[in-house]
Amino acid sequence: MSNPQFVPRKQELQLKSENTSLFLKIIIGIAVFIFAITLSGVLAVDSMITNWNKSILGSVTVQIIPPSDLNWEKSSAAALAMEEKAVEFLRSVNGIIKVTPLSDEQLAELLNPWLGDDVDISKLPAPRIIDIKIDTHANIDFDQLSKDLATVAPNASLDNHKLWLNKLIAFADGLKMIATTILFLVSAITSGAIFYTTNMSLGLQHSVIEILHIIGAKDTYIAQQYAKHMGIIGFIGGIIGILFAIPAIFFIGSLASAIEGGIISETSLKIIDWLFILALPLFSCLIAMVTTYYTVKQTLKKML
Amino acid sequence: MLKSKENIIEMNNVGIRYDQGPEILSNIKLSLPKGSFHFLTGQSGAGKTSLLSLMYLAQKPSRGTISIFGQNIDFAQRSQLASFRRRIGVVFQDFRLLEHLSAYDNVALPLRVCDMDEREIKKRVTEFLTWVELDHHMYDKASTLSGGEKQRVAIARAVINRPDILLADEPTGNVDNIIAGKLMKLFVELNKLGTTVVIATHSEKIIRDFRYPRLHLQNRGLHVYYPADTSFLGDINV
Ligand SMILES: Nc1ncnc2c1ncn2[C@@H]1O[C@H](COP(=O)(O)OP(=O)(O)OP(=O)(O)O)[C@@H](O)[C@H]1O
Ligand SMILES: [Mg+2]
Repeated sequence: MSNPQFVPRKQELQLKSENTSLFLKIIIGIAVFIFAITLSGVLAVDSMITNWNKSILGSVTVQIIPPSDLNWEKSSAAALAMEEKAVEFLRSVNGIIKVTPLSDEQLAELLNPWLGDDVDISKLPAPRIIDIKIDTHANIDFDQLSKDLATVAPNASLDNHKLWLNKLIAFADGLKMIATTILFLVSAITSGAIFYTTNMSLGLQHSVIEILHIIGAKDTYIAQQYAKHMGIIGFIGGIIGILFAIPAIFFIGSLASAIEGGIISETSLKIIDWLFILALPLFSCLIAMVTTYYTVKQTLKKML
Repeated sequence: MLKSKENIIEMNNVGIRYDQGPEILSNIKLSLPKGSFHFLTGQSGAGKTSLLSLMYLAQKPSRGTISIFGQNIDFAQRSQLASFRRRIGVVFQDFRLLEHLSAYDNVALPLRVCDMDEREIKKRVTEFLTWVELDHHMYDKASTLSGGEKQRVAIARAVINRPDILLADEPTGNVDNIIAGKLMKLFVELNKLGTTVVIATHSEKIIRDFRYPRLHLQNRGLHVYYPADTSFLGDINV
């Protein structure tokens, strides 16, 4: 007879010995791996968009090229006239907060690095520039704006670079939606796998459960033992998943930062993003527990 | 609490059938007063275990009504059934111990499902296992115990909760006469403390010695014999 102080209490349901445990750990590990990679992508794209919104999206410039078929005096007069029309039009557009045509001095300052101090800018057919502040919440259709502007002032054009960024953001938003769908699907598939293995196990444990019931165990008593067991599997699976995911995220990150152009180098994950990813095993543990708990309760309801 | 006159178990027009087969018991009408003691007899296959399983709520009758603790079980909530079962101790004919658990953990089970404090559990389990003379096997796995030892573990598990109803299916089938007598005394003792007892048995000796009323199953029906009846021992078929 051994000393009772050192005899750990055994679980009535022998869930550990079921060979579905390893299968589930692998499934959950893979799910968390995909989840972590996708999530890091979403978070990176998200912070990228936030950066762009802050620095670029709020302002757009309009450029008016002086007509080249006139002499420079007439040409710059025409450019000035178009600038006035453009300013008037832009001020009437919803979502544009502020329209500021740049003065000659400001233009000179802008061009100075290319032309040097010696050149008198007023003697050159230099483009006029209008600075526009945009309400970042307003949903402006830049393509339409660009067309409308061209009818008002044929030589005016919206800054190409920023329009391109805008399209990139729309693309990133699309990616985010796909990623969110993936996250949802991965969670659903994992829950499904847990649901099926739990149901299978309830079948295997039928005679023990029957005895527990007859002795007076409530469904919650049984469901808790299952939830605890599955929670541990979910946690271990989650740890396995992020152990593989973390180096993979660094690898993808290093590939991304190798891209020229500096757009993607802004995508490094913030500390809070990493905390999110590191917390995934807790999340998979929770999903496993909740799914199992309700599966057990639901199935046992049908027993007497 | 029930008044002492009230019936703790009542059956009306009860029939049992398995799958789509014929009824093995028909039109059973039965009322067990609180605090009563009955033997349940009948040939092998007569339906003793089946009738008991209705009483410990392991299956529903194919027809008729059953009331336990004054409640028609057809209208009982699921959680209420669980609390009824906690007040019913069962000794299964085939023991139904959890084989991978120790004798101790098996006996502790009814207390654990009620969330009793482990220290109190230890006190009680030790006491009961000592009483059935199994204290030296307390931490042995149930699967390593002999038939008679398993039976005593099953009995300790059934009575540890001081149940209102004790249903024992051949509880002395695997032990010698001395232990059988001792176990019967335990059941009588419990009965004196207020537990309603039904014991299925094939043992003529026990029926003769203890002289409690007999519920006898024959030809799919139930007949009650009282010790004063001349036919009391007449058709025991063991
Ligand atoms: N789960 C089951 N499925 C199908 N038939 C069953 C089932 N349990 C019992 N039976 C049948 O019901 C009848 C009564 O069986 P039961 O076990 O109640 O008899 P018993 O009186 O307890 O017999 P014994 O004295 O041998 O233990 C038998 O004919 C048996 O074959
Ligand atoms: Mg039987």
